[in-house]
Formats: sequence, structure tokens, C-alpha cells
Amino acid sequence: MPQFEQVEVFTPLLFWSLISFAIFLFLLWKFAFPPILKALEDRQARIREDLKSAEDLKIEAEKMRQDFETQIKTAHEKASTIINLAQEEARKISEKTISDTQAKCRQLQRDAEHEILTTRNKLLKEIREYISVLTIASTEKILHRSLNDDDRARLVEESIDEVLSSMEEKA
Amino acid sequence: MAGENPLHHFELHPLVHMHLGGLDISINKAVIAMWIGLALIFLFFMLVVKSGTQLIPGKLQSLAEVALEFIRGLVDEFIGEEGKKYFHFVAAIFFFIFACNVIGLVPGSYTMTSQLVVTGAFAVMIFVMTLFIGFARHGLHFLSILVPPGVPKIMIPFMVIVETISMLARPISLSVRLFANMTAGHTVLGVLFALTMSAPIWLGWLPFGFTVIINVLEVAIALIQAYIFATLTCVYIGDVIKLH
Repeated sequence: MPQFEQVEVFTPLLFWSLISFAIFLFLLWKFAFPPILKALEDRQARIREDLKSAEDLKIEAEKMRQDFETQIKTAHEKASTIINLAQEEARKISEKTISDTQAKCRQLQRDAEHEILTTRNKLLKEIREYISVLTIASTEKILHRSLNDDDRARLVEESIDEVLSSMEEKA
Repeated sequence: MAGENPLHHFELHPLVHMHLGGLDISINKAVIAMWIGLALIFLFFMLVVKSGTQLIPGKLQSLAEVALEFIRGLVDEFIGEEGKKYFHFVAAIFFFIFACNVIGLVPGSYTMTSQLVVTGAFAVMIFVMTLFIGFARHGLHFLSILVPPGVPKIMIPFMVIVETISMLARPISLSVRLFANMTAGHTVLGVLFALTMSAPIWLGWLPFGFTVIINVLEVAIALIQAYIFATLTCVYIGDVIKLH
């Protein structure tokens, strides 16, 4: 094989391959790799930062969620208390309204009874007067004479009693 | 004739005669092919660098980053945290061998790694470097690498011999593997090409087709061999750092 037989090329091959490798290594180390490796590291750092930010945001979101849950729980408790208070207040108002209405109704009833009674007395008075006039006039016409005061009073009283008795029976 | 001897294209002849203090450093086809391969690799990286590395990479930058990430993965896996300082060396080894392997597939070119003296020199360099790292890091305790943990005391002398042979075999296997793969691949390509040239036109397409297929396969082999060489370099460095 030429690779074993051509010993005279060993020295140049060894020399140039090792020298070339050394120069190649130096050039890559000095000029080629650093910017690319830096870009890689920058990207890794960026990804690491982004992941950390995402993790922080996740923790923050979790904290906010817990805060919201606490707030909602508190709000629910407050709302429940308000509803209970409102229900209690409504019950009280309702009871008071009923009580007031009942009192008013009673008052109205009393007023009505009083008015009825007043009207009744007034009517009775008017009836009495009318009856007395009617009775005197009728009697005088029948008897063709004037009555004295005592007769008038007696006849009026009797007529009134009869009319009233009749009215009371009818009522 | 090239058609008569498939190993003929491994022969080298000086193109530029040079001497350095009595040392022959003549430039031949292999050296020029190697320089072209290395220059192409270096220009590729410089093109990426000069284009400006972006946070969101373009196609070229992505390719360069994938290659470097791949090597960094090897270094991290086999050497560990301390591997960072050997990254540039391992990457240079990988790209050097890859460049030499691939440039040799260009017709009329030459594969520097098909020379055992070259692969042997690199294997010995790595072996010596691992010894240097081992002794620098652990002192004489580095010799405990020859005694695997858990070995009964009576077995220690035997294991020292076995491990020493194993250690010495490393540069040999490292260099011969690469040399043999490259030589075999190019020999097959040479034979197929010779068949293409010697066959009549109506039959010549068959070996030519095989030449194309084998050439594509050789590109993959070139990459795989560079990967194996770089991986074993990492393994050897990792071994001497961790001892066991």
C-alpha cells in the first residue's frame, strides 16, 4: 500500500497536518467559535430568563388567584350578612306595616262608627222635629181646634215613641 | 494505470519542494486538499460570523449552531462540567477530520485521513494529551486508572497488565479505524470508477451508478468517522478526568 511504502511523504504529512491543525484550532478558537457560542449562550440566557419570568408570572397569578378567592369568599360572607340583615329589616318593616295598617283600620272603623252614630242622632233629631210638626198639624186638622201646649207635648211624645218603636222594629 | 491498481490514487508526489532545517516539508496533493477542506470549514464559520449572529438564527447560523451544539453535547456527556475547556479542541478535531474526509470525495482530490501516519499522529497526540491531563490532575494517583474498582487484590497485577494493553491499544484502534475506513471507501470508489471507465458505454452506467451511491454513503461515513473520533477523544479525556 502506498500509505506504508512512501515513507518519504511521512514527514511532510505529519508536519503539515499538525501545523495545519494547530492553526485551524487557533483560528476557530479565536475568530469563528466565540460569536456563535455567544449567540447560543445569549439565547440560552434569554430562554432561561423567559422561563424564570414565566415561572414568576405563574407564581404571581397563583397568588392573585388565591387573593381573588379570598376576596370572593369575603364578599360572599358579606353578601350573606347583608342578605340576612335585609331579610331581618324587611321582616321588621313588614310587621310594622301590618301593625300600622291594622291600627289605621281600627281607627277608620272607630271613625266610621262615630260618624254613623252622629248621623243617626242627627237623623233621629230631624225625624223627631218633623214628626212633631206633622203630628200637631194632623191632630189640629182632625179636631178642628188648636191644641194647648200640654196636649201638643203629649201628642208629640206619643207619636215619636210610636215612630221610633216602629223604626227600631224594622231595623 | 489507475484502472490496474485501485490503490494507485493513494500515492503522493511532491508538488512544491520545501525543506526546513533538513526536514522535508514538501507540499503535496494531500496537503493542498487538506488546506482546501479546512479553509472551506473556516470560511463557512466566518461567513456565519460576518453575517452577524442573531438571536433568531438564519439557515447558516442554525447549521453552525447545530454542529457546535452537537459537539458540546458530546463534551458534556463524556467529560462533564470540566469539558468546557476541551470543547474547542474536540470541535477542531471533529471539523478537521470531517473536512479531510469529505474533501477527499471530490474527484482528483486526496483524503489526508487515509494516511495512517496522519491518523496515528493525531491518535498519539490525543493519547499523550490524556496522559498529561491525568498526571496533571491526579498526580501518581492517576495510575489507579489501571486498576478497575472492585477488583480482588490477587487480580490486581493481571488487571494492570490488561488495562495497560487496553490503554496502549486506544491510539492504535483510534488511528487504524479512521485510516481503514477512509482507505476502504476510497478503494471501493476507485475500483468502481475504474470499472466505469473500462466498461463499454451500454454497461458502464451500472458501476457508475454504484459509484454515485457509494459516494453518498462515503459522505455519511466521513461524518460518522469524524463523530467517532471526536466521541472517543471525549471518552478518553473523560476517563482520565474521572479516573473510573
